[in-house]
Amino acid sequence: MKRRPLSLVVRLTVSIGAVITAVLLTFGWMMERSINNHFVQQDVDELNSVVQALQYLLATVPADIPADELHQRLASVVTGHRNAQYRISTDSGSLIYSTPGFNLDTFARTARPVEEITIDTVESWNDHQEAFRGAVLWIESDRLEGKARFRLAVATGIDFHLHYLDGFRNHLRIVTLAACLIVLLATWFAVYQGHAPIRRISREMRRIRSDQMDFRLEPRSVPAELVELTISFNEMIGRLEDVFRRLSDFSGDIAHELRTPITNLRTHTEVALTQARSVEQYREVLYSNLEEYDRMAKMVGDMLFLAQADNQLLKPELVDIDLQSELRNLFDYFSAWAEEREVLLENTGEQVHVHGDRLMIRRALSNLLSNAVRHTPEGQSVTTTLQVNSGNVRIRIQNPGPPIPEEHLNHIFERFYRLDASRQRSSEGAGLGLAITKSIIEAHGGKIRAFSTTEATTFEVQLPLKME
Amino acid sequence: MKILIVEDEVKTGDYIRLGLMESGFVVDLARTGLDGHHLALTGSYDLIVLDVMLPDVDGWRIMQSLREARSTTPVLFLTARDSVEDRVKGLELGADDYLVKPFAFSELLARVRTLLRRGAAPVFQDQLQVADLMLDIPRRRAQRHGVRINLTNKEFTLLELLVRRQGEVLPRSLIASQVWDMNFDSDTNVIDVAIRRLRAKIDDDFEPKLIHTVRGMGYMLDVTQPG
Repeated sequence: MKRRPLSLVVRLTVSIGAVITAVLLTFGWMMERSINNHFVQQDVDELNSVVQALQYLLATVPADIPADELHQRLASVVTGHRNAQYRISTDSGSLIYSTPGFNLDTFARTARPVEEITIDTVESWNDHQEAFRGAVLWIESDRLEGKARFRLAVATGIDFHLHYLDGFRNHLRIVTLAACLIVLLATWFAVYQGHAPIRRISREMRRIRSDQMDFRLEPRSVPAELVELTISFNEMIGRLEDVFRRLSDFSGDIAHELRTPITNLRTHTEVALTQARSVEQYREVLYSNLEEYDRMAKMVGDMLFLAQADNQLLKPELVDIDLQSELRNLFDYFSAWAEEREVLLENTGEQVHVHGDRLMIRRALSNLLSNAVRHTPEGQSVTTTLQVNSGNVRIRIQNPGPPIPEEHLNHIFERFYRLDASRQRSSEGAGLGLAITKSIIEAHGGKIRAFSTTEATTFEVQLPLKME
Repeated sequence: MKILIVEDEVKTGDYIRLGLMESGFVVDLARTGLDGHHLALTGSYDLIVLDVMLPDVDGWRIMQSLREARSTTPVLFLTARDSVEDRVKGLELGADDYLVKPFAFSELLARVRTLLRRGAAPVFQDQLQVADLMLDIPRRRAQRHGVRINLTNKEFTLLELLVRRQGEVLPRSLIASQVWDMNFDSDTNVIDVAIRRLRAKIDDDFEPKLIHTVRGMGYMLDVTQPG
């Protein structure tokens, strides 16, 4: 079994939430980075100012300054720089000065000297659970002990910054998380609200019952995205309504068509039984009943045929049919009857073969032919034409006679449809002939239509040459 | 001629039996599939009329058993559903003919007779005669009371059918199918017209009248009036 696709609300909420979370996280990361850089720059500036102060001191200090005073001056370089410290030594490694209370020995020895302290060259490390940032560089002076190069290690404590950054980061996380949650909730709510029209439509659809098939959704009352859905739905309901109406008409017609003969039979039998009658009279009743039974049996047979057609149960047994010889046989069959009505039968056109069910095609053509003969005035003729064009066979059965009005032509293939509403059951059957013909033609993948002019009425059947 | 009817519907079974008995057959009626199965396999019948929709052992099973027993008894099956599948299934199982309910008794009778005749050795007769009506089959000529009668091809076929089945009521549908190969009911009175024309040629100027209308059932050719 295929799994049900995720709900729309979940899908939209998850995807929108993911995008917005990513945006928020990127934004936070950038903010944190920029603040961090800012702090590093601050540290670099501080270190540089220490270096500058020291350079100035070394440039200006008298060469003969006593050791005590030099020491004092060297210590004063970092006053005002709360966390700054430095260590200066000669090229050969002998210590000149180191800010008291700190130990930069290891760093001064191991770090690589840099040209200039910048964000990129500054290093940071941990020592005894304290964080530092600093650098080693060479400075030159000719005033001190007459030597040229000194190794300077300068550093500043950055715990304060790191502490601040930690706090900031935590804060940022909480805010981001909260923002994400709010966004998710808002999205979920918006999507849920956005689906409100769908729920409304669904409620409306649920109200449709078989007796209110005329119900239609109003496409103007729904959002643009749902217009197509409502239109499709309306069309579907339209088709259902049509089928439903025809089905209920059909059942109604069946009931009516059967009720009439049953009433006849009942009445006739009851009246016959009310008093003693002669054998002849009884026989008359039975004969008359027999005729009614026959008619009913035929109608039931026809209706079963149509029901099979409706349920796509008509499975033509395909054989090759020579339509011309088929028509010739039918002409032969109808000839005596047509002659009596003084109607001629004529066939023109090509010799045509189709694939089809012989019995069904014969039945369909026979219905059309007998119909045509019946409506042809005396002395005139029914003409059939066979034609092949572009993969189709066209069979035309044309009879002269009074035209069929347009409003009837559209319904002529419907069950029990009669041109003359007042005309009740007659020897011409129950009015199922053309409906059966249409079912047969359609079961063969063909089409049938009727048209009428002032001179003649034509039924045109189109059958595919080959049926898949 | 002995016929077995297997039919569970009480009235249908009774009437078919009565009808066939009155037509001169010896009839056994089985009301259940089990009885029918037993009788079909043990009794000796010239024909079996079999309803395929039985509550216990259905008609298909009975046909299958008959085939397995290599029985040659012709089977005519009755079905309430006119579906191609049923028809094909029945004929594949070796049935010889079928009828869809509701059917006319005259139709059943005509088909029963056809099936029974099929079994008999065909009689090749060049001449058929009923009263003073003579048919010359090879030359397709008819004469009555010594007078040559001009018949069309189909008229001769129709007359031959009526003569060959003298004394039997032939339903219109059977005539349509035997003479014109039209196996369906038409809304028209084509058969009546054809019979009327034939009558005009062979009966109008002669006595006794040979072609009789059996109201509600069909036509029959015989020397005497039916019923």
